[in-house]
Amino acid sequence: MIRSDIIRGHLDAIILRLILEKDRYGYEISKEISLRTDDRYQIKEATLYAVFQRLEKKELIESYFGSVSRGGKRKYYRITTLGKAYLKESIEEWKVTKNIIDLFMEGLD
Amino acid sequence: MKQLKVHVDELFKEISDSEQKTAIMEEVLENLEEKVWDLMEQGKAEEDAINKAIVEFGDILDLKNELGVKRPVKKNMTKLNLGFSLWGSVITIALFVFMNFYYTPDVIWFVYPTFAVLWWPLAMYFIWKRAN
Repeated sequence: MIRSDIIRGHLDAIILRLILEKDRYGYEISKEISLRTDDRYQIKEATLYAVFQRLEKKELIESYFGSVSRGGKRKYYRITTLGKAYLKESIEEWKVTKNIIDLFMEGLD
Repeated sequence: MKQLKVHVDELFKEISDSEQKTAIMEEVLENLEEKVWDLMEQGKAEEDAINKAIVEFGDILDLKNELGVKRPVKKNMTKLNLGFSLWGSVITIALFVFMNFYYTPDVIWFVYPTFAVLWWPLAMYFIWKRAN
């Protein structure tokens, strides 16, 4: 099992990325994450909604009600300009971090 | 599907009511329902699907933090405790002094219980110091 706490620190960016591609709603995002990671990482819904709250508070995403599904109205999220900038920043940061960690993690067997 | 509603209500019961809470509860419920429908389409029985959705929802602690549920703040009572111990020991020692001089004025013994009683404010003093 992978260490999910390391991923947790980058969930904001992961979710922003998915919303950047297109507007999405909660379940779609959790499903997409499982799908792309081949079920190696599954986000807990509780965590997901916490991230939504945080991102929305920081005005990195905004929500609107979309089509009606079988249950009720879906709440979609779209990324804001600020969100895009934040994501770009996160990606730059990650590259640097990854570089540093790789210095010590690679080259041994 | 009623089970889901019951479960969501249960999850959120400790969070104080607000518009935000209602909105999130609706969103959570809606998405859980979609998950259940999805799982059923993949061939799961309704009950299995509901259970799976509930289990995979995870711990609501993060969400509580985001919604600003105030964690119980432990009040710093050490100063009050120190004050109480001081007053308490003064009164107790005064009682010993009174008894000593009223009933046995020839023998000075009140010093002994006084030493014992002084441990109390002494302990409280250091607890107070540690807390600051």
